Amino acid sequence: MKLKDIIQPLTIWKRVAEEPWTIKDPLTERPGADNYRGFHQNDFAKCIGCGSCEEICQNAAIDLVPVEGQEVKDGNSGLRPRIDYGRCCWCALCVDICPTGALTMSNEYTWIDDDPEVFRFTPGADKTKWQDDEKGYSRSEDIALINFDRIEMEEKAPEDRDKSFIEIVKGYNKEQAMLEADRCLECGLCTATCPAHMDIPAYIAALREDNIEEAFRILYETNPLPEICGRICTHKCETACALHNNGEAIAIRWLKRYIADQIPAERYKEVLGTEHLADPKIGHKIAVIGAGPSGLSAAYYLAILGYQVKIFEALPDSGGMMRYGIPEYRLPYDQINKDIDYIKSLGVEIQFNTRIGQDIPLEDLHQEYSAVYAATGLHLGRSTRIPGSDNSEVYFATDLLRKFTLGQDIPVGKKIVVIGGGNVAMDITRTLARLQNQKYGKVDITATSLETEDIMPADREEIVESREEKAIIEPGWGPQEIEIKDGKIAGLHLIKCLSVFDENGAFNPKFDANEKKFFKADMVVESIGQGMDLSYISDELKEKIKMGPRGRIDVNEGFQTSVDWLFVGGDIIKGPDVINGVANGHIAAKAIDKYLNAQKK
Amino acid sequence: MKEKIDRLRKMVNVLQVVEKHPDLYFITLEGNQLVMALGYLKNTLNFKHLAFMQAVDYLEDNKFMLTYMVYNYELKANLGVNVFIDREESSMFSIHRLWEHAWQYQRELYEMFGIDFPGSPRVDEPFIMESWEEMPPMRRDFDTLAYSQKTYFPRPGRETNDPKEQMKKAKYPNYPDSPKIRRDDE
Repeated sequence: MKLKDIIQPLTIWKRVAEEPWTIKDPLTERPGADNYRGFHQNDFAKCIGCGSCEEICQNAAIDLVPVEGQEVKDGNSGLRPRIDYGRCCWCALCVDICPTGALTMSNEYTWIDDDPEVFRFTPGADKTKWQDDEKGYSRSEDIALINFDRIEMEEKAPEDRDKSFIEIVKGYNKEQAMLEADRCLECGLCTATCPAHMDIPAYIAALREDNIEEAFRILYETNPLPEICGRICTHKCETACALHNNGEAIAIRWLKRYIADQIPAERYKEVLGTEHLADPKIGHKIAVIGAGPSGLSAAYYLAILGYQVKIFEALPDSGGMMRYGIPEYRLPYDQINKDIDYIKSLGVEIQFNTRIGQDIPLEDLHQEYSAVYAATGLHLGRSTRIPGSDNSEVYFATDLLRKFTLGQDIPVGKKIVVIGGGNVAMDITRTLARLQNQKYGKVDITATSLETEDIMPADREEIVESREEKAIIEPGWGPQEIEIKDGKIAGLHLIKCLSVFDENGAFNPKFDANEKKFFKADMVVESIGQGMDLSYISDELKEKIKMGPRGRIDVNEGFQTSVDWLFVGGDIIKGPDVINGVANGHIAAKAIDKYLNAQKK
Repeated sequence: MKEKIDRLRKMVNVLQVVEKHPDLYFITLEGNQLVMALGYLKNTLNFKHLAFMQAVDYLEDNKFMLTYMVYNYELKANLGVNVFIDREESSMFSIHRLWEHAWQYQRELYEMFGIDFPGSPRVDEPFIMESWEEMPPMRRDFDTLAYSQKTYFPRPGRETNDPKEQMKKAKYPNYPDSPKIRRDDE
């Protein structure tokens, strides 16, 4: 042993009177790193309650709970994540998967409490001192757990399509459909927004698992027109998609089309399990008026329920507006037939060229059929009633589209103006543009609407594609007068439209009469909406039917009128679009079933 | 850096070179040439420091990728040396004779991924997980959720809601289900 070893311990005593070097409270001034993964924060202005955080959590630490003040609305479940810090391992997968970027982590990491229950909390709802901290961890752009970019849909180039009525959208191939399906988070927020409440996440999941037949069966649970809706649905579901907040929504419509396209018509009965459908002889007979989407949907679900269904259709073919309104380049006739032929194969009979009210009185149907579902649609064109609109060269869009489908010659002006900004206006614009191209070799058509481009009711892609086909779209103008010279149309006078709706959201357009415009034209088409034709209901019956506001028939939740055997649905009640019609038909079919079962007792 | 890699090429087969930054390169080598390459990098090319070792589980390819991050003080640059090894009976030569502290990384990799480094001191002693009985937890086929459910009982009072069902309850509770198809054999 050395002398030093003995003396050194004693030297420590010289420090006995010094201030200690220990830091008194080491935790007060020790912030986490700037991107530290500390306690959670949730920005309720962004959170949509999709539950992706719960789904990805590897420790089942997250629950989704309702929070006061957070409403259930389109694209937002109102639920918010509650985190159990007894299980959280701070891996931040919940932050990385959050599609809106609402869920983040602060860099705060100390939290001491005697009560273990407080460590299960709902960030954003339960007030915390770190809730507004800027520092911490948030989803970075280069960690891509979510793919915000849609698989692009191939379309025919404008120059390859603007002279013919060949289908524009090519549809996904298997690889594209799989990649697109793979983007889906399966949160299910879209299902509420779909009028028919289709189980979108379930059929996308089945597609992803390469179980196309199961996906197809899921489609038919809520929609017997998948080929049609897979092409022309108004696809409001996509606006509710969780990915829509920060990127491109899942192409739900195109995936539906892909699924339906994969099953050949001859395999429908086998795949859907209707090869041995019971004979409808035991059931009641039901009459449906109108072979449009709503009538067909009701007929399908009634047939499945075992009823004998007959549809009466005024026109020579089925489909209603789907065939006689929507042009073939958007919805080819063979695809309409594929859907409808299957419904017919279930025993649904369609009697064409029979207009109820004219050929057969509505009351007579009641004699033979236990219940009647009237889904007669909106087929009457509405007029602007501006001066000159009574000229013989002024047409209604729906009339022209119907006549064109019927194979009749329709007038094609050299210089056409279309009044209207909805999808029907785009349909007639693009149809006439094609016909101008065929006839004159050039397009000279202008569509004008009251609404400015941002609030035009037409689908965005319709506007874009119209322009690609060299039609001119001039939104934001109010038609004033169609100038007539020597009995012929000279053009359309317009003034600037400043706003379409008032502060209550009611239709009440305001104009600036000083800002004028004039479109030269030799033909004008009006496409400002359609009206219903209820002339098939006799005056006697009309007195018994309770009417609602604005000349609409009053129906209950099951689309039953106050005359108990008469059910009414489709565009004349709700919509107008195909998917609402499908939903109405489904609900009405169930309500008719309930009504007839109640009668038996 | 490029010059160093070119010199390395004369010694071993360099399968891939990726430049992340001017001062961060990754190279991929063959497993059986790794120790020779690391020795040459350390002693001749002046990558004196082993910063860390790590593994990535390429479950689908049935491979682990081992990364050895070495640092050159003169260049102030990092070089990541990758080798792919078989995932079944995964094993790699120990480098604790090149860098003594590697034994600790190797012990960690043994515990987290089940990669063996024969001859590495204390390689099979628990690193942080005493009495762990499951498969190595960083293997991607380890089911974290199932383990969590099994091990940590749920706190009383926990309940959750499905967004789709919640929205149905609030917005369309009476919407009909699809009717059951009536078949003739029923």
